[in-house]
Amino acid sequence: MFTIDIRPDKLSEELLDYSRKLGQGMENLMNAGNIDTGVTPRDAVYREDKLVLYRYQTPAGVTPKPVPLLIVYALVNRPYMTDIQENRSTIKGLLATGQDVYLIDWGYPDQADRALTLDDYINGYIDRCVEHIREAHGIGQINILGICQGGAFSLCYSSLHPDKVKNLVTMVTPVDFKTPDNLLSAWVQNVDIDLAVDTMGNIPGELLNWTFLSLKPFSLTGQKYVNMVDVLGDPEQVKNFLRMEKWIFDSPDQAGETFRQFIKDFYQRNGFIEGGVEIGGQEVALKNVTCPILNIYALQDHLVPPDASRALKGRTGSKDYTELAFPGGHIGIYVSGKAQKEVTPAIGNWLNERS
Amino acid sequence: MTDAGKFPNDWLEIQRKYWESWTDLSRKATGAAAPTANPWEAGLDHWWQAVSPAAPELARDFMAKIMDQGKAFFALADGYTKNLGAMPGAGLGTGAGDGWAALSRTLEDMQKAFTGGLQGGDEASRRLMAFWELPYDNWQRLVSSMSLVPGDALRNMPHKHLNQALSAPGLGYTREEQAQYQDLMRRGIEYQQALQEYLQFFSGLGTKAVGRMRDFMEAQEKPVESARALYDSWVGCCEQVYAEEVKTAEYARISGRLINAQMAVKQRMAIMVDEALGAMNMPTRSELRTLQDRLQETRREYKSLRHEVEALKRQLGNGGPRPALVRTTATPPAPTPAAAKKAPAARKVTPKPAPSK
Repeated sequence: MFTIDIRPDKLSEELLDYSRKLGQGMENLMNAGNIDTGVTPRDAVYREDKLVLYRYQTPAGVTPKPVPLLIVYALVNRPYMTDIQENRSTIKGLLATGQDVYLIDWGYPDQADRALTLDDYINGYIDRCVEHIREAHGIGQINILGICQGGAFSLCYSSLHPDKVKNLVTMVTPVDFKTPDNLLSAWVQNVDIDLAVDTMGNIPGELLNWTFLSLKPFSLTGQKYVNMVDVLGDPEQVKNFLRMEKWIFDSPDQAGETFRQFIKDFYQRNGFIEGGVEIGGQEVALKNVTCPILNIYALQDHLVPPDASRALKGRTGSKDYTELAFPGGHIGIYVSGKAQKEVTPAIGNWLNERS
Repeated sequence: MTDAGKFPNDWLEIQRKYWESWTDLSRKATGAAAPTANPWEAGLDHWWQAVSPAAPELARDFMAKIMDQGKAFFALADGYTKNLGAMPGAGLGTGAGDGWAALSRTLEDMQKAFTGGLQGGDEASRRLMAFWELPYDNWQRLVSSMSLVPGDALRNMPHKHLNQALSAPGLGYTREEQAQYQDLMRRGIEYQQALQEYLQFFSGLGTKAVGRMRDFMEAQEKPVESARALYDSWVGCCEQVYAEEVKTAEYARISGRLINAQMAVKQRMAIMVDEALGAMNMPTRSELRTLQDRLQETRREYKSLRHEVEALKRQLGNGGPRPALVRTTATPPAPTPAAAKKAPAARKVTPKPAPSK
């Protein structure tokens, strides 16, 4: 039998302490200033429409490996998650292992980009970035690291252009979009995507935010802010929190036609598993992906459940398939201290053994 | 510190006095209930109104969220302490049994509030009910962000007998226009009904969460020693119940219906706006989209053809100058000889026609 032992004087002190932290934390919030994101020096090496291809500068004392690595991020949210702060940067970790890192920043699509299709993104933008890197390095194949939806794009790309991909790393990437624990997938089955895209043109980032927050509304829009009071006294922690807060709500709109095709082909028709996806007139088939694959997923991922990612095993044409399970969530796999120690070095080592 | 520094101190002083007097009352075992108002929340509001204009926008938004959720935390503590204060012999040692009884009463109040049986509208319970409106609140914010009208504009729209009236066909010269307005109203009613169904879904969950909290607390072996632990347990129970229910096919249907109904309203409104723009001889969104589709198709073809030309040049051994590394337009680069050996022949990208609208 449990007991509640909240004495009035203790309770009074607790609430007073909460109020004190809240009041004092205000100063730190007011002094927080601009929230900077992206810490590693980089150069823009290719631009097209709103896309920018960045190349990160190799730190002093590190000799870059000959095969460069292209990071393909999702269209959802912004790629600075991979380089969010000095001590929590996937990119920094990859550079330290000798990777020559490139990253595609998709920018913020507007109505002028509404008609972009998956073909434009995958056979167009991604392929031209790959071409640029191949040319710059004078090599035939590069390494690709796809993140979340960017992982799905990378699988499509590797299926359509297998000759250009030396090694593929997929991180928290959905493959089977209809696992029983995939809430996003369950919810979207009854949404009339054609009506939404025809009506809105582009899909507003706010709609995606609402969907993601609806996965855990009380924790993500309630409890998080109550708990935040505990770190308000530390200016550095306040900045870190605000940085994450900015990232969460920094949601670009989605180019309408791409959204239509992605949701219908993958979330509603489960295209990787069931087949039938066609991009640019060619069929996307996982069996065409023959390069070595490192598939990384997060065990507590509520956006892309582990089973959704693990479904890749045995479905590709690769003879060199490796899995890495990370004990954390969809975001923690990039920003947690544990990820910096375990995930990033593992990617670097795996690539170095194969490049 | 800034001028704002004075306000936290004033506010803390008010709250400190309140809790001292409350504690004192409890200790004297007068049996009197704690003050009915919640000065924590009032003080919080007062202070925030004074300091928020001076805060930077990001900090202001962020702090407002902390304040909102802090109120839910305070509400739970307030409800609990009031019930604890009302216990016979309140304050005399405040035994564990009293704690459980106070929590039980708080949970009962919440249950009554959820089922509409609480007379007088207890503030703490209302605040906790509002906690269950978070999903709706998030939806409302979303709808507001996508529209010129408030997100809850259609929440209470009367529709009795409207369906019957709307089924009457329009007549005469303005028949088509009437039909459009009728259609807009029908879509508005469908949205309202979808929204009511969505809200109804959550009202049932509030009651379940109270039950879950009771079960959860009874199963605990360690004593609960802080209001925060109580609050965290409450959030955990809400999240558990929510997760169980939203994974059902029923919820998928309800949320899908809500989104579709909202889109249907917006679609009809967009068509009517387009017609008004056309009447003023201004470009419409529909026309712009047609142009966007055609332009994108042309760009696709241009890039594909350019790619083929580059490949042909390479095949003929007549490669043009290398493009610059930083480009402002899409120009497929010519691969190096080494890359060219490994690269496949240029693949033809067949432009896919845009889906019909």
